[in-house]
Amino acid sequence: MNWTWFHKLGSPKWFYQWASNWGGRCVYLGLALMAIGIIWGLMFAPADYQQGNSFRIIYIHVPVAVLAQSCYLGMGIAGFVALVWQMKLAPVFIKAVAPVGAVMAFIALLSGAIWGKPTWGTWWVWDARLTSVLVLFLLYMGVIAIQNALDDPIFADKAVAVVSLVGVINLPIIKYSVEWWNTLHQPATFKLTEKPSMPMEMWLPLLFSALGLYLFAAGVAMWRMQNEVLLRERKANWVKKEVLNHGV
Amino acid sequence: MNYRSFFKAEWLSLLRRKQDTLNALLFFVMVIILFPLGVDPSSEFLAPAAGGIIWCATALSVLMAVEGMYKEDFNDGSLEQWLTSGLSITYLVFLKVLVQWLMVIVPLLIVLPLLAQMLFLPFSALWVVMTSILLGTPALFFIGSIGAALTVSLRRGAVLMLLLILPLYIPVIIFATGAVRAAQLDMNYSGQLAILAAISLVALALSPIMAAISIRASVN
Amino acid sequence: MRVFLLQKSVNLQVTNLWIERGERDLCRDLSFSVRSGELVRIAGENGTGKSSLIKAILGWVRLEEGELEFNGEDVTLHRDVLLQNQLYLGHTPGIKSVFTALENLKLYCPEASEVALEQALAHVQLQAFADTPAAQLSAGQKRRIALARLWLTDKALWFLDEPFTALDVKGVEALELCMGAHLKNGGAIVITTHQPLLHLSPKTVELTL
Repeated sequence: MNWTWFHKLGSPKWFYQWASNWGGRCVYLGLALMAIGIIWGLMFAPADYQQGNSFRIIYIHVPVAVLAQSCYLGMGIAGFVALVWQMKLAPVFIKAVAPVGAVMAFIALLSGAIWGKPTWGTWWVWDARLTSVLVLFLLYMGVIAIQNALDDPIFADKAVAVVSLVGVINLPIIKYSVEWWNTLHQPATFKLTEKPSMPMEMWLPLLFSALGLYLFAAGVAMWRMQNEVLLRERKANWVKKEVLNHGV
Repeated sequence: MNYRSFFKAEWLSLLRRKQDTLNALLFFVMVIILFPLGVDPSSEFLAPAAGGIIWCATALSVLMAVEGMYKEDFNDGSLEQWLTSGLSITYLVFLKVLVQWLMVIVPLLIVLPLLAQMLFLPFSALWVVMTSILLGTPALFFIGSIGAALTVSLRRGAVLMLLLILPLYIPVIIFATGAVRAAQLDMNYSGQLAILAAISLVALALSPIMAAISIRASVN
Repeated sequence: MRVFLLQKSVNLQVTNLWIERGERDLCRDLSFSVRSGELVRIAGENGTGKSSLIKAILGWVRLEEGELEFNGEDVTLHRDVLLQNQLYLGHTPGIKSVFTALENLKLYCPEASEVALEQALAHVQLQAFADTPAAQLSAGQKRRIALARLWLTDKALWFLDEPFTALDVKGVEALELCMGAHLKNGGAIVITTHQPLLHLSPKTVELTL
């Protein structure tokens, strides 16, 4: 296997230029896909035979919730890379993605609550999924908090790497434990997973909006990483040239 | 410095500071007393909730005990001496956590039967509570030591440490209280205890490494 | 005086060191060597990063660039060999306040005999305080407990960060004697100090702002 791309990723300069090409494209393509998915889902997809129109929040809720988990997984991998290979970009990635993931987890909780009101009759249920997303949100807050609390940038990078890696190792254990706890306590009366499998015309818009959101988040993360790279490499010659040629 | 003299010194310094151990124990008792006072003193509420109450109090007092475990070493320069001793920091962390664990958990187990009576916990379930504490608290200590190492250089690190570490305690609390509840319902609880032991072993294997990395980064 | 068989002879090569602290460079392209029998003094005004240079060599301040070689072995990435052959005393030298002077010394020098421990404490004028908890001692006395380790160690390379602060004239004299004996014995010392040395002539590494 060819590993040049991996080594190139270690160079902030190479990444910066690569991201200038792809960041914008990802964001706009993502926005377009999301627009298609959501308009399709909200206006043209058929209503659910059980939940009626309220199920349409799925087109926001599910992509956001899945993305929240993927972001943390990515951060954990980046944490591992940062600790083992000391790659310069890995802590930049964690710092850039943590707030994005936190916002996604928060939206997932919020949209879950809004969805819960018409279907379960309450804003909050101690459902296994809701609970584990809540814990995920707290884990994100921990990463962001320690990033902000430590003044020394080298130490802060190490600390967030450790916290993300430890969090990722724990995440499956937490998920599993919460699911087990939930089934022991109160058998759920309604479960998303036990719904009849989705018909194609409901599922396709979901795919579009999920893909769109992923691309959008990837683009936003690239932009944030570019900013961070500029800040960190501000003494390097290529940054001076870049700023002089293209402005900030 | 070698591992033996380090271990001996850790023992001695904890024995000299008995008050810290006593404080953790008193804190544990206080939290438990709050539940009957704050929620409901009847045995109908307390007996089924006892396992959960005891475990919440345990988790909190472990956090309090672990939070400052490197503070003095950081302030008096001992951590610098660890780093330049040529010894493995991972192993030093392991020894330190081991001593801390014994000093907090043994007194806690001694007062537990009395508190269990106050919470109307049936005698048969008491053994399960004690076993779950023996098997589960190593995980709490080892995971907590990572947070303590990360926040040691901060003057107000305690709240941050709580935010970082408490979510990671959730599985331990869930399985431990699950075991107690199963025992009270006369169900099989060996599975939960096995999972607790597994979590503790994983924490034992990985946490000292993470804590060592954090200590290395904290000192500069 | 004591005669120790030192663990090893010393040859530490520092090449093209570049250390950053926050926004500015502490040093760039700094090269020097420390060999058996040599005393190297790191000089510079306050805030030029003398302590940081020692910490960078010992491995807990990051090097932007540079290589370290100890006795022919490259230790830039893994300092283990270097660490096992050195003794470092910093501003806060790791003296536990709940321990007595003797107990503190025992923690760091577990192999030393009771007689040797007491002699070492006598060298730093602490024999009367051997069983006093360090919490009751002054800052200077605590530092002297740490300095007593120098009479007990068999490590070849010493890093001493401002060892003379909090010592009186007699203490300085005794420490210089100890250092002189160590150098004669084939050891090497890296030291930061403001005070001029009375009996020893160091090689100087200058740090400037």
